[in-house]
Amino acid sequence: MERLGTLEVKNLSKKFRSRNDELTVLNDINLTVQPGEFISIIGSSGCGKTTFLRLVVGLEKGYEGEILLDGQRLNGPSLKRGVVFQDHRLLPWLSIEKNVGMGLKDAKSDESRKAIQEHLELVGLKGFEKHYPHQLSGGMSQRAAIARALVNRPGILLLDEPLGALDALTRMYMHQELERIWKQEKITMIMITHDVDEAIVLSDKIVVMSSRPGTIKKIIPVPLARPRDRASYDFVKIKEEVLEEFQLHTEHPFTYTI
Amino acid sequence: MSITTNVATFIRTRYHGLVSFLALFIVWSAVSHYELVSAEYLPSPPAVAKAFVKVIKSGQLGVSLGSSLVRIAEGFFIGTTLGFLFGVAMGVSATAERLFAPLFNALRQVPIIGWIPLIIVWCGINEPSKISFISIGAFFPILLSTFEGIRSVSKSYLEVAQVFEYNRIKLLRKIVVPGAVPNIVSGIRLSMGTSWLLVVWAEINTRSAYGIGDLLSSAGDGKKPDIAFVCIIVIGIVAFLINELFGHLEARLSTWRKSYR
Amino acid sequence: MKIQLLKNKLTGLIIPLVLYVAWDLLSRYELVPSTLMPPPKVLFETWWVMQSSGELLLNMKMSLLRVGAGFLVGASSGFLLGTAMGLWKPVEQYLNPVFNFFRQVPVVAWIPFLLLWLGIDEWFKIVFISCGAFIPMTLKTYDGIKNVPASYLEVVRVFEYGWFRLLRTVIVPSALPSIFTGLRLSLSEAWMLVIGAELVAAGEGIGNVMVIARRLFQTDVVLVGVIVIAITGFAMDRLLGLLETRFLGWHRTQNAQ
Ligand SMILES: Nc1ncnc2c1ncn2[C@@H]1O[C@H](COP(=O)(O)OP(=O)(O)O)[C@@H](O)[C@H]1O
Ligand SMILES: [Mg+2]
Repeated sequence: MERLGTLEVKNLSKKFRSRNDELTVLNDINLTVQPGEFISIIGSSGCGKTTFLRLVVGLEKGYEGEILLDGQRLNGPSLKRGVVFQDHRLLPWLSIEKNVGMGLKDAKSDESRKAIQEHLELVGLKGFEKHYPHQLSGGMSQRAAIARALVNRPGILLLDEPLGALDALTRMYMHQELERIWKQEKITMIMITHDVDEAIVLSDKIVVMSSRPGTIKKIIPVPLARPRDRASYDFVKIKEEVLEEFQLHTEHPFTYTI
Repeated sequence: MSITTNVATFIRTRYHGLVSFLALFIVWSAVSHYELVSAEYLPSPPAVAKAFVKVIKSGQLGVSLGSSLVRIAEGFFIGTTLGFLFGVAMGVSATAERLFAPLFNALRQVPIIGWIPLIIVWCGINEPSKISFISIGAFFPILLSTFEGIRSVSKSYLEVAQVFEYNRIKLLRKIVVPGAVPNIVSGIRLSMGTSWLLVVWAEINTRSAYGIGDLLSSAGDGKKPDIAFVCIIVIGIVAFLINELFGHLEARLSTWRKSYR
Repeated sequence: MKIQLLKNKLTGLIIPLVLYVAWDLLSRYELVPSTLMPPPKVLFETWWVMQSSGELLLNMKMSLLRVGAGFLVGASSGFLLGTAMGLWKPVEQYLNPVFNFFRQVPVVAWIPFLLLWLGIDEWFKIVFISCGAFIPMTLKTYDGIKNVPASYLEVVRVFEYGWFRLLRTVIVPSALPSIFTGLRLSLSEAWMLVIGAELVAAGEGIGNVMVIARRLFQTDVVLVGVIVIAITGFAMDRLLGLLETRFLGWHRTQNAQ
């Protein structure tokens, strides 16, 4: 299987219709993601980030414009695109091992066992195979969810605020882990976040969205060498650049932290 | 305009259900019309309608329904009051819980209908036995729901009350009982529903006075299936009304709970 | 700690003990006629006589067989209907209103008709019990399937599951707690209704033993009957409870958090 793919989003718009009105959630989104890139999407709460992600996954239907993967129109969810939801969504009745194996055709074959084992090692959960989700901490659950999304070797991994519920220290640790996984797997990652530091530490490009309707306001490249130093001059400079985008949006200057 | 659109949406959304009911009705009519089953066993729709009119006109239905409802009211009142008091006591005081819980837990294991023979031995077959039987049935749901309701009042509210130095009475009135209201109301709904079917059980087993259960079983004995059918419909309707009524009450009284969450 | 726990347990015995002593004294000195309240000793003797003569076992066997049959038929058909309504939209649309309509009528109201159609023998009792067991099982199965969280279903959509794997991995496990609740409700309903059916229609069975005893004013036998059915009901529920913990370990521990 050709693992990497170019994702092209052209003139994408999405409306939600309720009984008597229509809400334009996304308007005219254009974005190209190169194979192996790490992209962060940042924007205030309710601006349509999750909707965008769900469209790319194929969980949401009925949109205008085009979402192309290697020039092919998307048609429903697929194993080629892994997702990590904001709530980890591990099935409580399956052990971690079985949760991670959910995406495999035949979870019992030797090949599958090996893949599960490898991915548990990748996310640092070796030894927790037989545990159940309620026995794991928040960070561990998120890591298990990442392993589950990666186990079929998708070309693109989509993450919806995967670290949102974690405390600051665990989150910084997870940044290192995510970066390591991204490098090791050579995979395209698109991550939604509301943490500016997180976006700068991890991404090649930061997509800043504005709300009502959700549009792409600016795409900020992050040409810094990895691993990145949060205190460096360049880092702070980029951070200012990102924050500026939100101040210009005069209605709710600080809502991005919510 | 609004009425016609309402009817239209009703039909559109309930269309499938209406089809099923209609099919059922047609089968019923056909079976009795062509006497595939004799009228002795399955009354025809017109016969049931006629019987309905008859029992209403003769006053039989009114009297029966009335006396059953009076019985329920009495038994329900006794059972709920006792259940509520014990529930509050056990909810508030750990000692009361320790004292009474084992006893009530043991008594609760008796399948309600199993009390009937014992109560008849003790209280005869007249009013007192029916009312005690219904009281027992109404007692347990209220007891449990009151107890659980009070226990579910979050500790953090109790701490708030402590900060404001509420005394015990005020604590009960302002925090504990209001917090338990949604549970209590759902307990009332349960025990009201239980009371309704228990009155039928009691009347079927004693057959001494007027009552809907009595009308039902004598119709069965007297081979008058049409009247029995009327009773089934009436019993069903009352059960439905009780459930709806208390369901509305429950929804209304627990709105704060939903919006709070 | 341990002493405190023991003390708590002992407190619970106070009231039953007081009641027991009062009962013993009242009946011993005939303050209450012993026809109404036989002393505890008599109760034990009666139980022993019923037990050793085999009367109790024979009648319990009959009742349990009926419950078994009625529960099996009622719960399994309830499971099927609940599953069908939960999984297939058309079944739900056509049958759910009808089911909801009929479930409003308490099963006791059907007694005269069932007697008319089926006579007073086994068929009546088993059908009656099945009807009672059917309702909670249908409801709870349907509920369980309807309430499978949409978030889990989305996870599975990404993995492109076929319907069998979907059923096995997500829907059944997720609905299982509710299905177990249905089983327990349905069994206790069946146990209550077998007593009810035996009170109404003659034949062997523990309920019938109690009716005959009450006609003959054998209060001791009635009381033994009450105690025996309570213990049996409790034991059956416990049994299902054990099965539940065995199958639903994840559920218990998750909710305990
Ligand atoms: N299924 C839906 N139906 C109607 N409106 C929706 C639906 N999903 C999301 N929305 C609306 O779309 C907007 C964007 O939601 P979302 O994509 O979740 O925002 P974000 O993830 O950026 O916080 C919100 O105003 C939300 O109310
Ligand atoms: Mg979101």
